[in-house]
Amino acid sequence: MILWRQLNWEGRAGAALLMALVLMALLAPLIAPGDPLAITGEPMLRPFALELHPLGTDRLGRDVLSGLLHGTRTTLLVAFFSAAVALSVGSIVGTLAGFLGGVADTVLMRITEAFQTVPGFLLALAAISVTGPSVPTLIFAISLGNWTQAARVTRAEVLSLRERDFVAAARTLGMRPLEIAFREILPNAFGPTASLAAISVAAAILIEAALSFLGFGDPNRVTWGSMIAEGRTVLRAAPYLSIVPGLALVVTVLGVHLIGRGFSRAERLQP
Amino acid sequence: MSDPYVRVRNLSVDYGGAVALNEVSLQLAKRGRLAVIGESGSGKSTLAMAIAGLLPGRAFANGTIEFPGLDRKPRPGKDIGVLFQDPGGSLDPVMKIGDQIAEVVMTHQSMGWIAARVRAAELLDRVRIPKALSRLNDYPHEFSGGQKQRIALAAALAGNPSLLIADEPTSALDTVVQRHIVNLLDELVQDNGLTLLFVTHDIALASERADKIAVLYKGKLVESGSAAKVLGKPQHPYTRALIGANISLETPRRKRLAEINADELQ
Amino acid sequence: MPPLVSFFLRRLASALPVLGVVLIGSFLLLEAASGDAVDSYVARSGAMDAEQLAQLREEWGLDQGPLYRFKAYACALARGDLGWSTAFERPVSSVILERLPVTLLLMGIATALAFVVGSLLGVIAGARPGSIRDRILSIGSLALYAVPGFWLGLVLIVIFAVDLRWLPVGGIETIASGKSGLARLGDIAVHLILPVASLAMVYLALYLRLMRDRMSEIWRDPFVKALEAWGLDRRRIVWRHVARNAVLPVVTMLGLQAAAMLGGSVVVESVFAIPGFGRLAAEAVARRDTPLLLGVILCSAITVIIANLLVDLAYGKLDPRVRAGR
Repeated sequence: MILWRQLNWEGRAGAALLMALVLMALLAPLIAPGDPLAITGEPMLRPFALELHPLGTDRLGRDVLSGLLHGTRTTLLVAFFSAAVALSVGSIVGTLAGFLGGVADTVLMRITEAFQTVPGFLLALAAISVTGPSVPTLIFAISLGNWTQAARVTRAEVLSLRERDFVAAARTLGMRPLEIAFREILPNAFGPTASLAAISVAAAILIEAALSFLGFGDPNRVTWGSMIAEGRTVLRAAPYLSIVPGLALVVTVLGVHLIGRGFSRAERLQP
Repeated sequence: MSDPYVRVRNLSVDYGGAVALNEVSLQLAKRGRLAVIGESGSGKSTLAMAIAGLLPGRAFANGTIEFPGLDRKPRPGKDIGVLFQDPGGSLDPVMKIGDQIAEVVMTHQSMGWIAARVRAAELLDRVRIPKALSRLNDYPHEFSGGQKQRIALAAALAGNPSLLIADEPTSALDTVVQRHIVNLLDELVQDNGLTLLFVTHDIALASERADKIAVLYKGKLVESGSAAKVLGKPQHPYTRALIGANISLETPRRKRLAEINADELQ
Repeated sequence: MPPLVSFFLRRLASALPVLGVVLIGSFLLLEAASGDAVDSYVARSGAMDAEQLAQLREEWGLDQGPLYRFKAYACALARGDLGWSTAFERPVSSVILERLPVTLLLMGIATALAFVVGSLLGVIAGARPGSIRDRILSIGSLALYAVPGFWLGLVLIVIFAVDLRWLPVGGIETIASGKSGLARLGDIAVHLILPVASLAMVYLALYLRLMRDRMSEIWRDPFVKALEAWGLDRRRIVWRHVARNAVLPVVTMLGLQAAAMLGGSVVVESVFAIPGFGRLAAEAVARRDTPLLLGVILCSAITVIIANLLVDLAYGKLDPRVRAGR
């Protein structure tokens, strides 16, 4: 709750949005029990026409509200885990590069540069083509193009931390270099890297949505991207089938950006 | 000679709660040279900026600042030229210095671009930039700190102001360069019949170059008068302490304050 | 050696190892794929006996070890041969060269639009940080920044192509229209309006924010106070000095965003059925065309490297401090 007080109105709005989304994800099986991919009614029901299907049904007669709620789960699950993987991998690579220096640094940074040179979305596509689409492979595929910024930021931070007193102290205490890197330097360098979290989560959400829109998402799960793609086939007759899940995407990404900005402001206030 | 150029009456300035100036009144004679001295945080820069009309938006000012010699509100650049402390920071890093000065010239005089560039070269020549004409197309980073301050001075004088306000113009420079800049300032003030107000924490500089001295302490004007009087017969204990201890204000603040008995000052 | 030439050579030297890593990385990734080109060929062309399969594998060099295949691929690349696309049954390079111009056009226009409009709006917001205009534009750009391009594309189609019928639904030009010259250019331009808008919006919002934030920092810079003190009017300070300084980081961002925009074009081209390079990537994955996907990845890396080179050149022109240091 101390965190809450530090946030400005933007951060609070973002936090409230995200909490609502997490609640939606957790309560999805209670509010909309049953398989969201199951056909439960007449196809192409308009929103607000039937109480049973408040947001209507899609081309095949699947409930839109149920799809939206269950889609929250996939979106949040994939986004948070792939951002976490990307940040961890990035900060480990950055720490190693910054701390080891020399040839290791050059090699690691060339690899980082190479990953930055190839569009992240293409990397994800390529990975999915190898592994096939499922939640864990999606997490892996998305983080593949998402870790480079964290590596660069961590490396820069490590380079400036490396010369500080506490590192010298650890050296005189006889700690081994890697021990110093990961027990003394990495935790201190993590602050600036963590501020990338919001950007990474937002990027992951958008990449996951784009992948499932193109049909490279997990076929056994309902996702907002696949709902948009599904609605696209009847875009002329029922544009809301594509528009509604897209709005959910916009609101989620906006919430993530708002909370990210709120935190970076709060951080800046502290000396 | 004794006509006041600027008359400040009961000027108070605060920055949302923090008082920077408290009921300051003083006069600056036409063609006079006034040094405002005090330690950092004494409000001396605030006073200079208030007279220049450059207080930031969040500052709240009370009192009057009059310019009896002018029949209108003074215009920045045209009537008052300002020279700032940080020579590197006074110039736009991505614009040619000739353009920067010509821009100021054109703002204040109806002049074409080419004439303004020629005038800029003249001004640079006057502040002793060697080969001024050939350096019009150079950028600020191609000059030394002292040269940048000369260029800033040229820009400050480009509108032909009658009052020059210099806010610690030399404290960011090394001693030799300081001398050159101060001599140049002196010379330009004499030649053009300018009125000069300079803010400094260097008491030696103030005694050498000013006819009048005003001493600020914690936002209050504690003493003012002719340089000879203020330095020869200081009335206020703070001034006395400044001179008596002969401490340069560059000594660390804690030490300085330890030598001045704070109780005595209240 | 003229400085420009040595600059190019140095950049080339630093790009080569990066390209090498890209090549190794993508090759390894695709080696891990289950099933090879022959499998997918068979899946489409119907039954084949084991002997024919083995013959085909030998013909395509698939029976050798991965190291051999990689070496063969690298040697072919050095000769400018990107391999044989199994899906299109044509050389990969000809498929890519056919598709690349459309995407470069799309990206070029989108970048220009996002940069010009985004930074102009950024100047309007950053001219007075904290003003009403600033707040409206800041909130607007934050919302726009959250909009996925492919979804925006669908919304624009619903509004401008389906409801209003002002613009075509998709494609790059009217099929078999028989138009040529200026009329054909106009036709392509009309087809590009919606795709460009959907691709550019996110970057427009990004550049707006960047410009605005940088300007609000520059207002605190002491040189701005000096300009005020010397009597320059506000309009001049805003445009010639604050905005001029603030545009530099936006220009560096243009290069960094090239990769992201290329990724974005994959989906936007799919939405608008544009036969471009981006959609080729999705097609290569969907049709398991390994050489094509490798070619696409390599070409996009080269495109990104060239884009960054151009941006660096432009940056050198804009920032005198860099020019001197080079």
